[in-house]
Amino acid sequence: MGSGTTKNWVGKALPRKEEDRLLRGRGKFADDVKMREMLYLRFVRSPYAHARVVSVDTSAAEALTGVVCTLTGKEIEPITQPFIEIAPEPGGKIRDYPLAVGKVRYQGEPVAAVVAESPGLADDAAELIQVEYDPLEPVVDAEQALKDESVLHESAGTNKVWNGVFEYGEVERAFGEAAYVVEIDRMHFHRFSSTPLENNVVIAQWDAKDDHIYYFCNNSFPSFAIQFLAAHLNIHIDKIRVQTADIGGSFGIKITNYPQMAVCALASKKAGGRPIKWVETRSEHMTSSAHGNERTFRDTRVAMDKDGVITAISSRHIDDCGAYPRYEPLGCVIWSQVVPGVYRVKNLRIDFTQAVTNKCPVGPNRGYSRMQHLWFLERVVDICAHELGIPADEMRLRNYIKEFPYTTPNGCVYDSGNYPKMLEIAKKLIDWDGWKKEQDEGRKQGRRIGIGIGTTLDSGTNNFGQSQIVNPNAPFSGNSQGANCKLDIYGEVVVAVGSCPQGQGHETTAAQVVGDVLNISPDLISVRTGFDTERNVHTGFSGTYASQFAVSGLSAVHGAAQKLKAEMKRLAAFVLETEQDDIEFGSGGQGPELRAKSTGKSINYWGLANIVNVNSAVLPVEMHDITLNCRYIWRAPFKVPDKQKKYGNLTLTYAAQLHVAVVEIERDTFIPRILDYAAVDDCGTVINPPIVEGQVYGATAHGIGAALMENCVYDAVGNMLTSTFSDYTPITAVNMPTVKYGHLETPSPHSYSGAKGMGEGGAAPIHTISAALQDALFGEGIVIGDSFNNADSLFRAIVGKEIYQAEQMVKVQRRV
Amino acid sequence: MAIKFSGEFEVAKTPEEVYDFLTDPQKFAPLLPDYVGMTVQDATHFMVKVNVGISYIKGAADVKMELAQAERPTRAQYKGQGTVAGGYASILAGFDLSPTGNGTKVNWHGESQIFGRLMSMAGGLVDPLAKKNIKKLIDGLQGALS
Repeated sequence: MGSGTTKNWVGKALPRKEEDRLLRGRGKFADDVKMREMLYLRFVRSPYAHARVVSVDTSAAEALTGVVCTLTGKEIEPITQPFIEIAPEPGGKIRDYPLAVGKVRYQGEPVAAVVAESPGLADDAAELIQVEYDPLEPVVDAEQALKDESVLHESAGTNKVWNGVFEYGEVERAFGEAAYVVEIDRMHFHRFSSTPLENNVVIAQWDAKDDHIYYFCNNSFPSFAIQFLAAHLNIHIDKIRVQTADIGGSFGIKITNYPQMAVCALASKKAGGRPIKWVETRSEHMTSSAHGNERTFRDTRVAMDKDGVITAISSRHIDDCGAYPRYEPLGCVIWSQVVPGVYRVKNLRIDFTQAVTNKCPVGPNRGYSRMQHLWFLERVVDICAHELGIPADEMRLRNYIKEFPYTTPNGCVYDSGNYPKMLEIAKKLIDWDGWKKEQDEGRKQGRRIGIGIGTTLDSGTNNFGQSQIVNPNAPFSGNSQGANCKLDIYGEVVVAVGSCPQGQGHETTAAQVVGDVLNISPDLISVRTGFDTERNVHTGFSGTYASQFAVSGLSAVHGAAQKLKAEMKRLAAFVLETEQDDIEFGSGGQGPELRAKSTGKSINYWGLANIVNVNSAVLPVEMHDITLNCRYIWRAPFKVPDKQKKYGNLTLTYAAQLHVAVVEIERDTFIPRILDYAAVDDCGTVINPPIVEGQVYGATAHGIGAALMENCVYDAVGNMLTSTFSDYTPITAVNMPTVKYGHLETPSPHSYSGAKGMGEGGAAPIHTISAALQDALFGEGIVIGDSFNNADSLFRAIVGKEIYQAEQMVKVQRRV
Repeated sequence: MAIKFSGEFEVAKTPEEVYDFLTDPQKFAPLLPDYVGMTVQDATHFMVKVNVGISYIKGAADVKMELAQAERPTRAQYKGQGTVAGGYASILAGFDLSPTGNGTKVNWHGESQIFGRLMSMAGGLVDPLAKKNIKKLIDGLQGALS
């Protein structure tokens, strides 16, 4: 630990401080907030994926008693600006409003809003709004969209949002010298989402008295949201106050609920400044909140030497961002945080294109943009291994990065890791040799058993300078986080940090860090969570996303605690009439205190706080700078990347996950069943083991659900067919196998504590289950080409021979 | 989702008689499954109301119908568009008539597309229900023309 810090609490398995409140139902969530004269908003949503809005008739709804007002796209267009587009042209010319203006572009897009005295009345009134549509040709496939036969955004003139080529090393030379070249025609990463327990909720009040907008909501990146809202609503950013409290899960998806926040504010203004509440239904969440990015991988070529070591990869990637880019096209560069994955390959060329389609817009979904690329790389490794007859574990050992820090071909610096050791731990956990034996025996009996490995990365603490790789004019770079640490009037240690936790245990881990700095129990430290743009310390990057709190959040907390400690020491030295070096921190009969080692005299925290806050006349002038209220802004040590070369360090830490799964495909039903599962995690120094373990289980469940159960299915005309839980079938505890958990700690040299950001999990189960299914089926000429697999797709592959046929998907050139 | 349907049957009436039946909304519309009522606007346009129910989703659909092609006595085609349970449906239904030795052969074909909540909430049930209703309509037509 850093200067003057002991290490007693970091690393201990302390129970979560927030557990008592949350498990007893005493949390404060956005929907718990009730305000005087509150009104309720309901959206009218498009049934069409693509249509012109001919007319919107709100008269019948407005005539209903209890309805206060309605709002349409036509009304808001002249009084707002389109949302900021992060993309340069052509994507930058897209005009995005929170209610459809002229056209609808996905099923579920809000067309109008109605505000009433009760939620039920708002529901009834919404049914009375008549919208006439003129249907247009929908396009639901990104490759089809790029043909521009039906253009979604006339202002952009094309469905292409962004394109760029990421090329590193000497790709063609590596292919020329290769012993083997494997070509894979097409692979596809499916569209799925997060299903937080709590849907989106917004309470907004546009108060005419002070022309401020007050929000209470569950947005998980408020400092990003207010930048978009201020520009859209033509209001100074300091006149927008966003508060959050407890949030029931986000996984990134709640970053993009700012369009609904905008509508609620505009509705409040129209309703005379009365507060408006909007609570999203589950079906609304499924059809129109945000989904994860869908990606197609075309024309992949892989060069290998005679030992199966991958020397080059070339591929064309097409990303589907749905109807409006919103947080995109950041996903077009964020994948490049992990360009080579966990492998040493030096020569890569990825031609990356993003397109809009008539589907729900995407948002940053747990493992955002990296998981698609990491799945692609794991597929490449397994397909090549099987084609060359190299065991999957051996193939990985031949290709893993083994020395750290490691600079990737595009300039990212992997801080630490030990992937072979993680594989060893996982194999031991699962009894690899035992399962290999059972697999051999089973195959003789016609059983389809596969053993798969997924090695993946959870890159955390972004360098926002990577946004300049997609748009050279983007005004973002680096990363920062703010925290405040103070002694209250009665000597209580109070910490406030600009994050908005959704179950990650920030109260507990922040208290552990401060406990170590001040040498007191975390029980004596209050951590104020929940965001407040007007009252909290925050920066433009504050929020909870992208696996970073352990690094950015806790570094800020640590910095603020160090500043407080220094002030306390200086003040105590004055009061106790000794030198600062003579002062030690600890606890005595009157609680936490500072002692003079030489005299044994002490002063407790209340005494110190009293002097500064309510007895300040005793302080000499030269000590008036002591406030015991210390703010610290932590900044990540990043540089602006080279935009032309697309080169630079894009992320500060690289946690790793290695999962192994044993999967059997039932002979008669083709249902894939997990027989055994191991998850090994390395997130550097662990702050709180149960919190880390819990997030590993959560990410594992999320990934297993995505691999086998959860898929956003659209029909050819853009109807979303999985808009309810009965159709989407999110994973539950009942579907979870017993997960054998293991961990390794390779401390990061890039964070003060050695911790790495974690929690997203890199979608390891998706890679792992795809690998296991292929291992079960490769002998039958099948390779797995999609990230989603259920009984239906496996039946089509095994019996129908419609998909995944190796002889059609894969070609191998053998030059040795 | 597009639901396509086609088939043929024979009746012992002349093509002219069959054509006149098919192009008369007052005779044709009541054969629609779960027919409630209709309002004739002019010779080729009428509004028909039918009950719709899929599992717990129940309601009435108002469907604007147009006799889009009328070539006596060989061809009649209807186009329709309606609102149903928070969504929309479009229908295209055509009848090609040809004389046989003692009556008329009716080739029927069409396509329906459903958009919106109904499809999202109950997509898996729509296809079998549509097939059942088309069978009802064709059985009704055959019965009425017999």
